[in-house]
Amino acid sequence: MSLSARMIFVLTMVGLISGSLLSVVGLLTTERIELNRLREIEAAITVVIPGTVTSVKLYEEEKFTVYAGQDGEGMALGYAVYASGTGFQDIIKLMFGTDPAIQRLNSLTILEQKETPGLGAKITDALAFLRFWEKKDLSRPLTLRKPAAGSPEELATSEINTITGATISSEKVLQMVNLSLERLRVIKQEGKLGKEE
Amino acid sequence: MSSKSLTAEYLKGLWDENPVFRQLLGMCPVLAVTNAVINGIAMGLAASFVLILSSVVVASIKKLIPAQVRIASYIVVIATFVTIADRVMAAYFPPISKALGPYVPLIVVNCIILGRQEAFSSRNSVGRALIDALGMSTGFILALLILSSIREVLGAGTFLGYQVMGPWFKPWIIMILPAGAFITLGILLGIALAIEQRTRRGRA
Repeated sequence: MSLSARMIFVLTMVGLISGSLLSVVGLLTTERIELNRLREIEAAITVVIPGTVTSVKLYEEEKFTVYAGQDGEGMALGYAVYASGTGFQDIIKLMFGTDPAIQRLNSLTILEQKETPGLGAKITDALAFLRFWEKKDLSRPLTLRKPAAGSPEELATSEINTITGATISSEKVLQMVNLSLERLRVIKQEGKLGKEE
Repeated sequence: MSSKSLTAEYLKGLWDENPVFRQLLGMCPVLAVTNAVINGIAMGLAASFVLILSSVVVASIKKLIPAQVRIASYIVVIATFVTIADRVMAAYFPPISKALGPYVPLIVVNCIILGRQEAFSSRNSVGRALIDALGMSTGFILALLILSSIREVLGAGTFLGYQVMGPWFKPWIIMILPAGAFITLGILLGIALAIEQRTRRGRA
């Protein structure tokens, strides 16, 4: 066999064997990875809508999913919105919860991010960022407080704190939440939130 | 072909040719994921899995691979094992997989792994390649363990998540930030060099 033919043959074989092995591994793990993702979403819903016993998916489009949280008797406790968008470095996936009237934001949780460790990655930190998102007034769009405030009490009811050194990450999260809220109100008005109407 | 005894082949990875302290290879994960002991151990185990299996496979097929395409073939073999490690971690250990983030897929470009294939596995028997990979893996895990222990204890006051420092201790946040990784690694490399120089002087 000539050298070129041997090179092509060896690389093809290495590629084929690796590919087949990986497709088997893919088949064996995909289901479990998906299950982990669903479990994580369910856990996040109970965090952003306190008291949730069961949750129902009401609406889904690309990068935007709405769930309803219900208590033990099936009473609606509010909406949980799962949204994803571009952060400073990569995709940020987050979830926040509102009351049924979309007048109050319960809390926010970050499900996935790859922001700068030590700076933008603080968006997952309760002390540095998430506690400033609790119990916010949604009667007008949320705004960013810059320079950062020291404690949640210093902020206005519709104000969110900036992370010092990671303004872009904070702004991106805020933008995603504001846009998602707008979208949530529109689809609610259009009657697309099925069961809750 | 190496002529060392098998024990020496294993032990060289722990100190004489330790990938982190002596060869300064694989610095990216060493600096990036050692902010907590559990992350250090998980990265060490994932990289070891890839290194050991890649070394065995490369040593077994070394005669079939033409020299011109050897690096490409090694990388495909390494990437396959990295993808397996990544998927298995995501399926069975989701919190750790999340904490390590992009660093598991990045094991593909960890110089320790390709370096051992090129420098050792492609020139030695399967058994010897396996012993070498085990030694290098142990050396890598030890280095990650030392670095992450120092950083977690000083940076968070905990070890493997358990509180080890009293209430008087104020965590040095810098130790879990990137700067802390560089400072700790620098000091450890200095200590390693000093020990090496002292033993060399002792021998002379």
